[in-house]
Amino acid sequence: MAKSGFGFRVSGFGYWLWQKGLQLVHAGTCTLKRFTRHPTPDTRHPIPAFLATAVLLFIVGCGGGGGVATGQFKPINESAAVFWDRQTTETAELLRTIADEFNAKRPGALPVKVEHTGGYKEIFQKVTASVQAGALPSMAVAYQSMTAEYIQARAVVALEPLINDPVIGLTSSDLDDFFPVVLDTNKYPDSGNKMYSFPFCKSTLMLYFNKKVLADAGFDGPPKTWGEFLEQCRQVKAKTGKAAYPVSVDCSTIAAMIFSMGGEVASGRQTLFDQPAAIKTFELLETLAKEQLAYQIPPGTYDDEMALSQGSAAFTMRSSSGRTSIALLMKDAQDDWGMTAIPQDDPAHPSTVLFGPNVCIFNTTPEQQRTAWEFIKFFTSPEMSVRWALGTGYLPIRKSAANNPDIKKFWGEWPYNRAAFDCLPFAKSEPNLAGWQEVRTLVETAETEVLTGVKTARDAAAALKQKADAVLARQ
Amino acid sequence: MIRRSILYFLLLAGALFTTLPFIWMATTAFKSLTEAVSPTLVWWPAEWQWHNFVETFQAAPFGRYFFNSFLVGFVVTGAVVLTSLAAGYAFARLDFHGRTALFGVVMATMMIPFEVTLIPNYVLIRNLGWYNTYAALIVPWCANAFSIFLMRQAFMSLPADYFDAAKVDGCGHLRFLIRIAAPLVKPAMVTVGLFAFLGSYNSLLWPLIVTSEDTMRVLQVGLTVFSGAEGVRLHLLMCASTIVILPTVALYFAAQRYFLESSLGSGIKG
Amino acid sequence: MSDHPTLDTGHPKPENRNPKPELSPGAFLDACAARCDDFFDHLHTRTLRDTPIALFLLAPALTILGVFGIAPLFFAIYLSLFGGKYAAGPFVGLGNFLEAFHTHAFWGSFLVTAYYAAGTIPSTMAISFIVAYGLFRITRGRGFFRTVYFLPYVTSAVAAAMIWRALLNPRFGVANAVLAGIGVSPQDWLLEPRGILHLVTSGWVPPDVGPSLALCCVILFEIWHSSGFMIVVFLAGLTAIPRELEESARIDGANTLQVIRNVILPLLSPTVFFLAIVSVIKSFQAFNSFYALTGNGRGPVDSTQNVTVYIYSNFYEYQRWGYGAAVATLLCLAIVTLTAFQWCFVGRRVHYE
Repeated sequence: MAKSGFGFRVSGFGYWLWQKGLQLVHAGTCTLKRFTRHPTPDTRHPIPAFLATAVLLFIVGCGGGGGVATGQFKPINESAAVFWDRQTTETAELLRTIADEFNAKRPGALPVKVEHTGGYKEIFQKVTASVQAGALPSMAVAYQSMTAEYIQARAVVALEPLINDPVIGLTSSDLDDFFPVVLDTNKYPDSGNKMYSFPFCKSTLMLYFNKKVLADAGFDGPPKTWGEFLEQCRQVKAKTGKAAYPVSVDCSTIAAMIFSMGGEVASGRQTLFDQPAAIKTFELLETLAKEQLAYQIPPGTYDDEMALSQGSAAFTMRSSSGRTSIALLMKDAQDDWGMTAIPQDDPAHPSTVLFGPNVCIFNTTPEQQRTAWEFIKFFTSPEMSVRWALGTGYLPIRKSAANNPDIKKFWGEWPYNRAAFDCLPFAKSEPNLAGWQEVRTLVETAETEVLTGVKTARDAAAALKQKADAVLARQ
Repeated sequence: MIRRSILYFLLLAGALFTTLPFIWMATTAFKSLTEAVSPTLVWWPAEWQWHNFVETFQAAPFGRYFFNSFLVGFVVTGAVVLTSLAAGYAFARLDFHGRTALFGVVMATMMIPFEVTLIPNYVLIRNLGWYNTYAALIVPWCANAFSIFLMRQAFMSLPADYFDAAKVDGCGHLRFLIRIAAPLVKPAMVTVGLFAFLGSYNSLLWPLIVTSEDTMRVLQVGLTVFSGAEGVRLHLLMCASTIVILPTVALYFAAQRYFLESSLGSGIKG
Repeated sequence: MSDHPTLDTGHPKPENRNPKPELSPGAFLDACAARCDDFFDHLHTRTLRDTPIALFLLAPALTILGVFGIAPLFFAIYLSLFGGKYAAGPFVGLGNFLEAFHTHAFWGSFLVTAYYAAGTIPSTMAISFIVAYGLFRITRGRGFFRTVYFLPYVTSAVAAAMIWRALLNPRFGVANAVLAGIGVSPQDWLLEPRGILHLVTSGWVPPDVGPSLALCCVILFEIWHSSGFMIVVFLAGLTAIPRELEESARIDGANTLQVIRNVILPLLSPTVFFLAIVSVIKSFQAFNSFYALTGNGRGPVDSTQNVTVYIYSNFYEYQRWGYGAAVATLLCLAIVTLTAFQWCFVGRRVHYE
């Protein structure tokens, strides 16, 4: 027989211990023997017992987890208002500093605690799972499409009572100071057009351009209309051989293009992807792809920003919050690039899309909700919103920010620094409909189909409208 | 001789293909950001940026993450080895009612997609009060059907005479398991332990869902810090990934020695 | 009851009544096991057979699997009967299942899964066996080679996928550089929704027939990534084969190929069987590589959307838990059927000692 393999010598004490242990085991088994002296002859099938235990445990486990559709949720942290957020490193530091300053102003009250919880997708997953578990944080960052889902689970609260509260609410002059679009983007028409979230990080879609590449192609400025854009792309390709426009496939970009062509994305619960503006958008992409002026970049990457900074592309269309990273990449060549409003069909009536997540307050205890609201109010106050904008690259959401000396200084540093802010008055947001998450995916699929030539622009648009309407109808 | 050298050559070529991505990863760890993301592939950094490592460790408390990952990993490994040893032996060598059906049920747990198990398990964790504890990270993974299956196969491939001979000597099942059978299936045990550790070490979604405190997070969650909306800081991410891989490589290097031994030592002759 | 700790074997005590016992935790464990064996022996009856001891051995594993594995399955089945969002929709009975059968995306996802399984399983097993046998035969640099070949599996799929994405980048990845070197036009790799058959036959085959190039890249990645796992399992199986059998076959004049065919493969059949079953299950549930390689799992024009990704999207992006649970139940059923099929038909041919 082989040995079991672990053994070492012990002394007299060990021997005594060993002896006692063995006696214990022996006693145990003898007792057990006595209790089972006459085992019953019927065979006990282990499976029913096993399954029954599993079902029992499942019932016990899940039975207590009913938070959905039954009203209030428990707060996951009783002694702090937890804020699930996705900022990392420097911006997270800034957010924490702001939270600390807020807490310092209210000693003895419920403090706000910022928790980094992965990216937007992870936060969405975690909130989803927490909804089922019945306990939620105080607030979390969320896109409108996510908030629309949270509304359906009755997990978020409408903000009107808090905004109109006589003590901690906003005055009407305060409300007027916000750009209308940043407030409107947080209204949800499916739920009585109430505000279920508040602006947190706002940005607009901008056209970034590499001046050197354009100069090589014979242009001294970015295009103002889509016709000029197409022409500039063609010239860049002809004169420098480079593809001009790396495309980041994204539904919001398509929405911005549709807006800038004078159209709308949806009306009521019907999408308008078969309307002229949408068709024009897809046809433009089709042309760009056919003439090899544009190519798609891998999703989730920032290859277009890289290409722009390395001079292998002329344009890219990204959120204004990309300014900080492109500035980093081009830090030795600040004069070689710029950003401006995206091309328009009708420059007299410009339009672009408003990006950026908001923060929503969850349906937990009244104290947690008030604390969350007060933090949001503090965070979006004139001084703090400017600080946040300057520290992160997002936009200040108040009109009065234009008078702030720090902002003015910032605008003076580089001619294009105010380009995004100037777009705020005419930015529009995507519809806040339940099911819009799914429609976004369909739009991105259609865009890929057009860019890779799998479908023609008209076919793709028609198929998209059909599928999107079906999704919206199903909600 | 020629055969041998051809074999070595082929293995080396295959090894190169296998490790090419890692060479890229390890060298990218030392590049600057622009080098790391440059459109023309840069293999060797112009200047070796040792300070990347400092920056990486400053981005998140990786020391604590290492401790958590290892603690959880080792406990899970031990538990999985023990449970699958016991269960595998039971399914292989014991004769009891409902054996086939029960084994089928065990195998079925392997076939359930994780999205489905994620939410009820999370609910259970919350209701047990295990949120942000080691228990949540460890307990659900202490047994898995894959390991049980593997051990069952291993035990079934031991000759039946072994047990009969031992029985004649008055050895019951448990003693047989501990003294004879387990040492004989060491390679399988090491395999099970290795995969259990890897599974635990490399998992991202579950630890992300059940922890939120920095003190309880694991390494994989720590890696997400480098992918922000400002762009992926590729050089730091590769730096962190290299550091994260090293322990598992070392572990495997130590463990693979056990595959050298033949499990059937002296044994009994036919 | 003896005062002296001797091993109770049930046989008459040996002459030397007080041998110096081996004092070690191992011996202690052994003695405890002996006591327990005695107890279970007492419980062993004709009708009960080994059930008590089996339950004792199975208890910890079954509890954990039951609570964290089986119970959620019941939850999923329960959920699949409801429609709407989250777990709060109206009762629709089998409505979700019917909807799935009528949805193009559902069948498309199964097709993607089938392509993926057919692409990865045979090739990975063949390559892994060959490499494992090679690693088994070499004498020098064993540790080095074994570690190197296992490296891809050691990395998390996420980190490995990042590397592959960079290498397959259409603009500046190595892959297109290599293609340029041999005069082939650059490909879109992971961004290419058109079928590989279409591309290889220059358009003779329509683009939506067969797996897309993107899917083929995912398959390649998976072969690279999981061959390490199979190599390890094969190695464990190979080292369990008694040397004598192989040596006697060689003495009898068999060459390597014959040795492999007649000695090694039959003895390795439990391992091969295990790997076949496990690979099918894993490939039907593959998620990490899909998600990490394509950024959203679906790939260009949904051409890498396998069933797991489809379920994930429904659960976590569209919040359609009932529908997602229905698809998950169907997936589970498919895997169970396939496994049962494999078990009954292939399992017969597995050679155990």
